Amino acid sequence: MYRALAVLRFVVLVNAIALGWYRRESLDHPGVAAAVFAGMTVWTAVATWAYAAPQRRRPLLLVTDLVVALAAIAVSPYVKGDDLRATLPGFWVMGAVLAWAIHWRWKGGLVAATVVSVADLAVRPGITQTNYGNIFLLMLGGPVVGFLSGLLQEMARDRDRAERAAAAAAERARLARVVHDGVLQVLALVQRRGAELGGEAAELGRLAGEQEVALRALVQTQESPWSGAPPGERDLGALMTGLQVRSTPRVEVAVPGSPVQVDGAVAEEVVALVRACLHNVSDHVGSDARAWVLLEDLGDEVTVSVRDDGPGIADGRLDQAAAEGRLGVSESIRGRVAGLGGTATLTSAPGQGTEWEFTIPKKGRP
Amino acid sequence: MTDTPPDRIRVMVVDDHPMWRDGVARDLEEAGLRVVATAGTGTEALTRFPAARPDVVVLDLQIPEPNGVEVTASMVRDNPAVRVLILSASGEQQDVLDAVKAGATGYLVKSASRAELLDALLRVAEGDTVFTPGLAGLVLGEYRRLSDAPPAPDRPDTPRLTDRETEVLRLVAKGMSYKQIAERLFLSHRTVQNHVQNTLRKLQLHNRVQLVRYAIEQGLDDEIEG
Repeated sequence: MYRALAVLRFVVLVNAIALGWYRRESLDHPGVAAAVFAGMTVWTAVATWAYAAPQRRRPLLLVTDLVVALAAIAVSPYVKGDDLRATLPGFWVMGAVLAWAIHWRWKGGLVAATVVSVADLAVRPGITQTNYGNIFLLMLGGPVVGFLSGLLQEMARDRDRAERAAAAAAERARLARVVHDGVLQVLALVQRRGAELGGEAAELGRLAGEQEVALRALVQTQESPWSGAPPGERDLGALMTGLQVRSTPRVEVAVPGSPVQVDGAVAEEVVALVRACLHNVSDHVGSDARAWVLLEDLGDEVTVSVRDDGPGIADGRLDQAAAEGRLGVSESIRGRVAGLGGTATLTSAPGQGTEWEFTIPKKGRP
Repeated sequence: MTDTPPDRIRVMVVDDHPMWRDGVARDLEEAGLRVVATAGTGTEALTRFPAARPDVVVLDLQIPEPNGVEVTASMVRDNPAVRVLILSASGEQQDVLDAVKAGATGYLVKSASRAELLDALLRVAEGDTVFTPGLAGLVLGEYRRLSDAPPAPDRPDTPRLTDRETEVLRLVAKGMSYKQIAERLFLSHRTVQNHVQNTLRKLQLHNRVQLVRYAIEQGLDDEIEG
């Protein structure tokens, strides 16, 4: 802002000096005029240097700036004589007014513009239409520039703050990745070596493996802090990945690479459904069962599949399954999927495991 | 299933954790494979790659610059016959997908057992594709993302899956083995493998076409030719 002002000051200085030279014939005291212009030039240079550093922008500097401008206006009648039509500094005084506007916002602009206007009017024998026009513009320009500079500075501050926050978050994420990666490597190594050594080491390895799965799921869910999810929606992919924390059954979750934004309540119910299915798997297939969850994004709908590696159910054995209580659970699951406005299918064949597939609208029941 | 004797397979292991690197290298050597080079950073890997002439590179994605994705792209460009097996700890989803698009044909999490690693390595060396269910899910998602993008008349080359390929890939993502898939769909094991491989090949080709197009648009082709 002040750099732009410095350029402006220089331009209006050249303008004032050029006008002074052009009207040199009408000057009563050309020597004094030359001195005034020299003073203005020196002050322009000093002000440019002084405003360049924020710590030098003190009230004293701004007041001096305005006083110099007023002094240049004040000597004008003496230098030019009684037929004063334009002050010596002319537009040059706007440098001080704009500096006030930038520093003290619209109030500063208004005060400086008023002071300069009063001084300008005081030294004139009469007021013409042009004088009035210039004064009006000055009174208007001071506060407006002040207001705009305030706005700009606020925006710059907000942007800086946002950039800092983003940089800090990115650095935190990077550090977390490095730290997590190291821990994951060691846990995976312990798991692998432990299993090979057997005995107590195998137990240690198993524990390390559980922690590894839990930490990996955590890292994956936290990977995108800036997902920009619309309010009320949640990333179903991240929620699903979190299910891998379970140790029985051992679950592998497959999701698309990009976030799957789903209505928050729907997302929670879908996760609860998948949990119910997994619970069912560990109840009926056994604690060493394995399960796979697949999430697919179909645009307006999602498809969720939960498959286990159990013995599966032959066609004729549904009655037995019902007797075992498996059908009761499945009816409840069907009911809950229907509640979300979706459909559920259960496929099973001997040796192929049992598989649930749900297709559910992202926004829930219409 | 493997035709090449293990001692003829040249392997390079790239990992910045010495414990892992040595552990994996030892496991592979004990299994009779030839570990021809190891490296701890991307730069080391690319420097040693031409002289070592590995058939398979076992690569950790999280290595000091250049990262695993760039290393994969660079190695495949230098020698299109090389196979890259990603062995990654944290399952960084986007990175895995990028590495696969850059030309890697296998992906395994580090907690996989020694037997799983050996099996995956031999299969990758054979030119087979080793998918985890997680990777299959990512690839499915990537095809959906590509087909959902507004169709551009000047970009008719957006890769699409055939219905059969989608079906196979979904079953892989649900944790089924090729054998189980073959049984369910009444296909041969080899056909299932081909379908899975095709899904990757199309994606990799698309990626290369995109890169070349980008280079031409940016005027980089002049520099390459000149």
